[in-house]
This record gives sequence, C-alpha cells and structure tokens, in this order.
Amino acid sequence: MGGRWLFSLGAGLLIAAGSATDRSWASLRPCIPELSRSQLEPSAGQGVLLGVLGGLRTVIADVSWLRSYVLWERKEEAGCEALMRLSCTLDPNSRYFWEQAAFAVGFDMANWEIRRRGGYARLAKEIQDHLFTSYARKGILILEDGAKFSRSRAPFLIVAGQLAEMKIKDLRLAASYYRAAAESPDAPWYAARFAARTAWQAGDRKESYAWFRQHWTTTLRVRQEDRSPDDLAELRMMEDALFMPTSARIPRQAWER
Amino acid sequence: MNSAVSIRHLTKDFSVGIRGVKLRAVDDVSLEIPRGEVFGLLGPNGCGKSTTLKIALGLVRATSGSTSILGDDAASAQARRRTGFLPEAPYFHRFLTGRELVTYCARLSGVKESDLEAAVARALDLAAMSAAADRAVGTYSKGMLQRIGLAQAVVHDPELIILDEPTAGVDPVGSAAIGEMIKTMRGQGRTIVLCSHLLGQVEQVCDRIAIMDRGKVVLQGAVDEVLSRRDRHLLEVSGLTPEAEAAARRALESAGAVINSVSRPRKSLEDLFRELVTGSKDA
Amino acid sequence: MDSLRRTYWIARVTFLEAVRQRLFSFLLLLGAALAGSSVAFRFLNFGQGELKFVADFGFGIMFLFGSLLAVVMTAQLLFAELDNRTALTLLAKPVGRSEFLLGKFLGVWAVLGVFIALLCGVLGAVLLARASEVAALAEAAGRVPPQVDAGGLAVFALLQWLRLGLVAALTLLVAAGSRTFLFSVVAGMLVTLGGQLQWLAQDLLNKGDAGLMQKSLAWFATRAVPNLQQYNIGDALVLDPAGVPEGAAAAALLSGTLHLLALLAIACGIFRRREI
Repeated sequence: MGGRWLFSLGAGLLIAAGSATDRSWASLRPCIPELSRSQLEPSAGQGVLLGVLGGLRTVIADVSWLRSYVLWERKEEAGCEALMRLSCTLDPNSRYFWEQAAFAVGFDMANWEIRRRGGYARLAKEIQDHLFTSYARKGILILEDGAKFSRSRAPFLIVAGQLAEMKIKDLRLAASYYRAAAESPDAPWYAARFAARTAWQAGDRKESYAWFRQHWTTTLRVRQEDRSPDDLAELRMMEDALFMPTSARIPRQAWER
Repeated sequence: MNSAVSIRHLTKDFSVGIRGVKLRAVDDVSLEIPRGEVFGLLGPNGCGKSTTLKIALGLVRATSGSTSILGDDAASAQARRRTGFLPEAPYFHRFLTGRELVTYCARLSGVKESDLEAAVARALDLAAMSAAADRAVGTYSKGMLQRIGLAQAVVHDPELIILDEPTAGVDPVGSAAIGEMIKTMRGQGRTIVLCSHLLGQVEQVCDRIAIMDRGKVVLQGAVDEVLSRRDRHLLEVSGLTPEAEAAARRALESAGAVINSVSRPRKSLEDLFRELVTGSKDA
Repeated sequence: MDSLRRTYWIARVTFLEAVRQRLFSFLLLLGAALAGSSVAFRFLNFGQGELKFVADFGFGIMFLFGSLLAVVMTAQLLFAELDNRTALTLLAKPVGRSEFLLGKFLGVWAVLGVFIALLCGVLGAVLLARASEVAALAEAAGRVPPQVDAGGLAVFALLQWLRLGLVAALTLLVAAGSRTFLFSVVAGMLVTLGGQLQWLAQDLLNKGDAGLMQKSLAWFATRAVPNLQQYNIGDALVLDPAGVPEGAAAAALLSGTLHLLALLAIACGIFRRREI
C-alpha cells in the first residue's frame, strides 16, 4: 500500500523529462511560427488562444478574417485591424493576411479617419497628409512583421514600396523597398525597373542608372532567359537622358534590335 | 494455523469532511474464523461488517490491529490468491459473456492457461450457470448475476470464499439455490465467510456467527450454541389425541416439568413458497 | 511475467469496453467525417495553400476530439469500475493496484491509437488525393507542385498518439486520487490546457532577462507539466518535412515518453494509497 518508491521514481522521471523537453522544444519551436513572442507581447490573451486552439489555428484565422471583412465594410477601424492582426498572428505563414492587412491599414483607414473627422473638404490638407503618412507607416510595419515569417520577402517589400510611393510620397524610401525586393532571390521581373524608375523620379538619376545597369548586367541578363530586353530598353532611355557618350554606355548586344 | 481468518484488535477510523473529523467504523474487533466452516457476519447497515471484510481483503488500510488470511498478511497477493470474493450487488462488464467473464477472472487469479477451460467449466457448473454461460452478462437477471459472481469467486479454487450479501435482491428460490451452493462448497472443505441480512438463511447454513453493532462485535459463537435455550425443550408429536395430551401433561407435571405452551408447528412462508414455486429458468 | 499478463488482460477488457462506448463511436465518426470533408471547407481558406488548410483542419479536429476522448474516457472507465464495484472484485484477486491502473491506461491508450490511426488514414487519403489534383494544376501553371509526405504523416500520428497518451495519463493522475468523475473530467481538461500553454513557461525559462523567482517557477512548471505544444508540427512534418530539424521529432518522442512514465508512476503511487 505504501508506494513511496513510485513517487521517487516519478519525481526522477519528471526531472529527466523536463531536461529532455528543454532540448526538444529548442529544436521544434521554430517549426511553430505562430508562437512568436514579438507577436504575442501586446496580448497575453492571444498566447492563451494560440495554446488552446492547437491545430485549428488556420481555421480560426480564416473565420477571424471573414469577420474582419464585415467590419471593413462598416469601416470600424479598431475592430477590423484587431481581427486582421489576429488572423496574421494565428496563421503567420499566410502572405495573403499580412498583405491584405497592410493594404487595409495603409490605404483605406486614413480615408475612413478623414471622413470621420468631417471629410476631405473640411479637414486641413496638412492633417490629411499626416493621416495618410501615419497609417501608411503602420501598414509598412505590418509588412515588415510578416516578412519575418515568409521565405519570400520580395512581395512584402513591393507593397511597402507602393505604400511609401503612393501614401507617404517618399520616393527615396519607396525606391529602397523596391531595390531590396529586386535584390531578393525571388524578385518579380518588374521590381528592378520599379526601383530604378522611382529613384530616377526622386532625382537620384545617376545613382539610379548605375545601380540599374549593374543589376541588369549581373543579375537580370544572367538570370532571365530572354536577357530582359525591356529593362535594357529602359536603360537606353536613361543613357539618352543622361547624354552619355557611346563609350560609357552598355555595349550593344548582339541580339539587341 | 487452524484459523482461515484471524482478526486481532482491528480498528478503522475514517476522516469525514474538510476538517477531517474522525469516524470510527470498526472498533477493536477480534475474530477467529476456523477453517472449513461457514461463518456468518451479521449486523445492521453501517455496523462495520463491510469495512471489516474490505480490510480482510486488503482493499482498505486498518488504522490499527492486524488481519491475516490463511496465515498470510491480508494485504499480500499470496493471501488474495487463496481467497475468492463476491461483492454486494455485483456489476460486471455487460458486453462479456458469462464464460468470458469467468475466464477473465480466472486469468487474473493466476489460473494456468492449460487448466483454464476445466476450471471455468467447474465454476460455472457449481454456480449452475453452464446453460447460460454463452449469453452476455447484460442479459442476466439479478439471481444469475449473483451466481455468475459466485462462479468468478470460486474459479481459481480458493480455500477461503467471502460472500457479501450473496442473496440480496434474489427471490427465495434463487436464494435457496445459493444456500445449496454454499453447503456444497462447505462440503468441499472450503471456508466461507457470509455477510447477509437473511437471518433465516444464515441460521440454516452457518456453523458460527458473529454479530456486529456500531463497529463492535457484540456476540460470536457456534450457531447451535448461541441460539439454543438450555432450559427449554421441544417435543414434536404426531397423532396426539386430547386424551393422550391430557395424559402427557399429567405425567410431565408429576415429574416436576413446567409446560409453558402447546401449539401446532408452522412451516415457514419461505418453505411454503419454495414448495409451490419451482422457480423460473433465470432464477 | 504474471504481472504483465494480468495488466494485458485488464487492458484488453478495458479496450473492449471503451470501443463499445457511444462517445468513442460518435467522436470517431464525426472526426472522420470532418477530416474527410475538409476539402469541402476550403472555400473558407484565404491565406494558405489549400493542402495546408486541409491538413491543419484535420489535425485540429484530431487534437480537439482526441483530447476530449482521452479525458472523458479515462475518467469514465476508471470511475465505472470504482462506482460499480467491479474494481472491488478485481482488486480482491491477486491483482496489484499498479497493474489495475496501468491496464486501464493501456486500454484507453489503445483506443486512442485506433482513433488516431483511423483519422490519420482518412486525412492522409484526402491529402494525397487532393495533392495529385493540385500538383497537375501547378505543373500546368509552371509552379512547383506541392508534396504530401506519407512518412511524415506516420511520424505525426505517432506524436499525436503520445500527446493523447499524455492527456490520458494527466487525467488518470487526477482521477487516481479524486472522488468524483466530474471533478476528474474538469481537472483533466484544465491540466490539458496547462500542457497546451506550458510553452509559455518553457520560453520564460530560456528568457535572458527573467528573474530568479520567475525562472524557478518556470523550471518547476516545465518539469511538472508536459509540453503538449511541441507535438503541433503536423503541417511541417507532412507538407514541408525539410523544415523540421533532424532528430527533433525523436527528441519530442523521448521527452514525451519520459513524462508519460513519470505521470503513470505518480498516478500508481496515488492509487496505491486510495481506499477502494
């Protein structure tokens, strides 16, 4: 009836199990990106929710996203953003959630706020610009968070560039995002041209040409099967605009028309 | 060692409620149950007899005192290997057949695989359950449940069998059948401890009894010894005419005897019931 | 040897009793139906690849229903024996308390194994069937076709079986000492929840700036409660096995097994002191 040895055995095994869990958790934790500390810090409740939901996180994330649509249509800023962020937290591997949340916050919510404060005609232009800028920066922060969970950073950087270009009106900042996207391994075909064109429009014409030329020579021409003739055409326009002598230009390519 | 069960100064306190108030269920009980006898443990509900049995089976720890079974400590596996137990109102897995249940219990009791079939058949036969052995336990009547319970208790051929209210809720015919089984087991030399409220049955089958009240043993001894009145006698006479009765009275009184009453003997209602009702198959 | 034999027979009868329970049939059929029809719910999916949604949905159902089954069935099968006094009949035989309790656990664990195997089978069939369709579309569009790793699914099934075993062992530990079925179920659910949130203490333990008191509490918490979150890697094992570090699943199996043995040893210790 005693069984004191069973308690001793149990205690010994618990200590061994704890040490073994320390090791296994250290190697397995990165496989569960949902449990990101930085995502959870704003809300202990989210940590609890994540723990409770187990494998149903993706499903709940989708339901939360559906609900956020309803609030988006009603233009309820706080609830919509909270639900979108919840979807991102529950399913951080989803690029769609991060991108769409950034679009909603960065592009739409400033307009909602302006309407709430009386509309475009009544609110001072400076305040409107300030609102567009601050919401766009919030959108960019969402994208930067999302990019940490994705193996493919370029799409996040492109949207960040769009927010910087269209809402913050900071072309240099936009160009830096586009350039980072173009230099990513999974860069879309148009990223380098966006980067070069935006930096050109920002006034950094020589730097823009130098970077674009270098990028086309080392990356685009090598990586793409058709050697990116459209990019070369863009480069030729830049050379013309910069009045560059023939000797300084990119040598004529055999396949070039 | 002649005692099958030896209980010495057994005391059991239960803690009741959050404050742990002590409730004494068994109070300094000592019992010696000789081998080969049927021993009746009697008493009202809550008198401590079930607790005493549970301690004897090693299911509950005693606060103080000692209990041994067939010479071994009651809590030891060795003691339980030689003991069979039928709890009050037994409930068994309903999906098993009677045969599967008894086989399962035989395996747990340590019956060898080679002896299993014969042991199960013997136990079912003793409990008169062979015919219904392949039916699911869930379809059994109360009497059949008691009998299959008896079969599982004896399947490993124990020397000591403890039966807690084996006839509770069973009709008189079934109850008499169980009484016959107890007598058969006594005939095989086993020791049987019987807890029952049916005092008539206890009187019929038990060699010795103990009566418990409020945790204490208030009386124990051989049934004949504790029930017989040494200062009185009973004459059972057939064909007694009024003249013969008067002559007998005169003769007895002249010899100094006092006649307290003269009456006709009655058969018990249970005996009458058993004569009229042969019992259903399930009983 | 006799001890193992008795434990085996108790486990076998417990298994037979458990598979006859309506709760088991209900949760198994509902789980299999939901896992099998998860493809039909993919219209709900916004963010992820279709296969990930199907896999997550199936794994979630498996854990949710499996945990419910593990808690309720463990408590129910133990208390059925105690309340109906079959435990009295069995423990009056030369059956040790530990043999009885381990037999009960193994019977329940075997049922949970059947539950996991059937649900994983259904989910695997759905994933493989859908993967071949999606792969054809992906190839036609010039994209990399998604892969479903059957070996990863088998490892996941093993990990889930262990996780549900831990849930059952936690419940058994509570039930071994408690007086009522309801308390055992509620406490079993709460400790399961504790196991799901144990990773918070695990992270606190590894946090550099945590205080001594915090670290001490976290150390005790991580020893006392198993980390159930570490088995939540189904999608990685099945859809992206390259993303799971080598030996990580084996490490989780080892730590879970040690916790399981510890919980069972303590449960047996408690049950040996129990008055039946």
